[in-house]
Amino acid sequence: MDIRELQGYASFFMTIFLVVMLYGYIIYLYRSEKKGEKDYEKLGNIAIDDEIDSTPVNTSDSVSSEKKEQNK
Amino acid sequence: MQSNAALEYDYSVAKLFTITAILFGFVGMLIGTLIAAQLAFPELNYLLGEYGTFSRLRPLHTNVVIYGFTVSGVFATFYYLAQRVLKVSMAESKFIMFIGKLQFVLYMILAVSMVVTLLLGITANKEYAQMEWPLDLLTVVVWVLWGVAMFGLIGMRREKALYISMWYFIACFLGVAMLYLFNNMEVPTALVAGVGSMMHSVSMYAGTNDALVQWWWGHNAVAFVFTVPIIAMIYYFLPKESGQAVYSYKLSLLSFWGLMFVYLWAGSHHLLWSTVPDWMQTMGSVFSVVLILPSWGSAINMLLTMKGEWNQLTENPLIKFMVLASTFYMLSTLEGPIQAIKSVNAIAHFTDWIPGHVHDGVLGWVAFMIMAGIMHMAPRMYKRELYSKKLVEAQFWLQTTAVVLYFTSMWIAGITQGMMWRAVDEYGNLMYSFIDTVTVLHPYYAIRALSGVLYLTGFLMFAYNIYKTATAGRKLENEPQFRTPMA
Amino acid sequence: MFHWLEKNPFLFSVGVFIVIAFAGLIEILPNFAEAARPVVGLKPYTVLELAGKEVYKKDNCIACHSQLIRPFKAETDRYGQYSLSGEYAYDRPFLWGSKRTGPDLHRVGNYRTTDWHENHMWDPTSVVPGSIMPAYKHMFTNKADIETAYAEAVTVKTVFNTPYGDDIKPGREAWEAYKPKVIEEAKKIAADMKNQDVKDAVNRGEVPEIVALIAYLNRLK
Repeated sequence: MDIRELQGYASFFMTIFLVVMLYGYIIYLYRSEKKGEKDYEKLGNIAIDDEIDSTPVNTSDSVSSEKKEQNK
Repeated sequence: MQSNAALEYDYSVAKLFTITAILFGFVGMLIGTLIAAQLAFPELNYLLGEYGTFSRLRPLHTNVVIYGFTVSGVFATFYYLAQRVLKVSMAESKFIMFIGKLQFVLYMILAVSMVVTLLLGITANKEYAQMEWPLDLLTVVVWVLWGVAMFGLIGMRREKALYISMWYFIACFLGVAMLYLFNNMEVPTALVAGVGSMMHSVSMYAGTNDALVQWWWGHNAVAFVFTVPIIAMIYYFLPKESGQAVYSYKLSLLSFWGLMFVYLWAGSHHLLWSTVPDWMQTMGSVFSVVLILPSWGSAINMLLTMKGEWNQLTENPLIKFMVLASTFYMLSTLEGPIQAIKSVNAIAHFTDWIPGHVHDGVLGWVAFMIMAGIMHMAPRMYKRELYSKKLVEAQFWLQTTAVVLYFTSMWIAGITQGMMWRAVDEYGNLMYSFIDTVTVLHPYYAIRALSGVLYLTGFLMFAYNIYKTATAGRKLENEPQFRTPMA
Repeated sequence: MFHWLEKNPFLFSVGVFIVIAFAGLIEILPNFAEAARPVVGLKPYTVLELAGKEVYKKDNCIACHSQLIRPFKAETDRYGQYSLSGEYAYDRPFLWGSKRTGPDLHRVGNYRTTDWHENHMWDPTSVVPGSIMPAYKHMFTNKADIETAYAEAVTVKTVFNTPYGDDIKPGREAWEAYKPKVIEEAKKIAADMKNQDVKDAVNRGEVPEIVALIAYLNRLK
């Protein structure tokens, strides 16, 4: 197998792999929002509410902190 | 957050880079206007003797606007908005403050040496990578310092999720670092031979390989200097100025990964019909067309952010700048793939359509976004109102006219010339000698020179406006939340 | 997995790097394994020609002139045989250019002479009426840096095995011994020129930029 053939296989399978990853990511994004684990759209507020003393939109672990709030 | 009550964002480094952005923007655009005029009126080549010819000044123009103006703009906006989206102040760490200032000093030394060496004709002569090896080494140092400041700030952040702008800045840092190192591999000749100039080197790659590496850089420098950090800016400044969060945050994440994945492959579209292997040319062509998707993903996301708030477009000139910038981004990311189709490229390549394409991107998208960013930052950095709204409006219309004149004249010039080169008479002989295809372009070159004058005038108005804002603008009690106040 | 990518800036950076490095790794790197082989009979540039290439670079001729003839009839009719990869094997850097404000120069040596270039560089409109190219009169007085050109020859011979003779070697003594050969070559070019100052300079053992540049342009065939 010469180098050209290797290049061909490598580019083909890597592309397939990265496309699968990209679609996997899309599914992950929507699924985690549906399950209520995350709220991505909320992150857009980081640009809007960006004073140094404003509460961070997202702390280290959004899942647990949100649950705590819900439990209260 | 009681303890941070007295803490403020520190804009000292952002201010420094803002000044250099304006300075280099003026110098670079002035040279650009001059060389545009030289093509229409060749007598202008002799203003500065040996140092004033079109050929000597052209790399100076590209380097000053890219590495002077644009990169300063990127650093300025980074040192401003990174603090804000990470909710951490530069003042909190003496170390990062020192790194930022050191980076600025070295950057200035680098920029000045770049101007001097290019004027003297000391050049590696690869387009957009002209600097000789000692300057390349200094570039690496400046870039690494930026990385230290970036990851330092990220390490201290209060906002745990990285905003999308930070994603783009990180990508800019990594992408440029990788491509720059790879492309500028060179051997200093004086070290090997023991004779000759210290400022001379030979490329590690020869011929076709060198071309591949060079355009891998040339193309992706456009990606990681003219696209990625500018998207970082618009993802912050447009929502902040309009008070509207990004239309779809998920779309912004997807466009990001799409752009990262696809952009690189398209590099070989600069080498269509050349001696690089055929399959690479085809890959370049195909991926260039695919590239429309992630590019338009970001641009449409920006336009939709204004949904329901389009009245701001008539009221706030900064919104005008940013909406037009994303429109020009859409235009040039559609035009680029069209030029990358092999049959179109056969006509377009080597003609003025290519500079035309570059300039609707850089004048309409990059420079508009940087100027809008600076006009948004100035009142917050200097705690003064923007000096004059009328000036901003006038500048907007002047520069928009300039961009339209530029790309329409260059479209016509490019296609005219491309068609004339290949025109044959009824016996199959070439119809035109080369000089015929040059003299016919005179009116278009004149229009382009005029467009340069208009754009430069607009830029001067902008510079004056910022200067007056910093020195004579009405003082602000509180930092404005969204819309930038202007008199 | 994606959760970590979003939360950890380091992992995120690694991810970005993999995605952007991947295309280059696959498309570019393997090509170097097949280093561009020279076409049969291709000779490395002489030291004078290298000095001329430096002048070409210094005044940035690639801003307006390409050195790449594409495989179209309109181009081969105008400029000659289309370009082959192996013809560039000794070009460091490559000088294909990306814009033709002026014509392609890859085979300019086939149809232009020393005399033509001399007139053209002094005043382009004297041989091409309507030309917008600037005159390069300073090339008739500035001296070409033949010493650095020699250093380049030594470097590509040592580092990249470019086939130069044994008289090209590091060190000042070797250079002093080699220099007369460069002047000899320059004299042959100057003999076809009419500018007396240039002729005198070459006889004094100096090489004006124009002489080196013409040597380089004549070599492009």
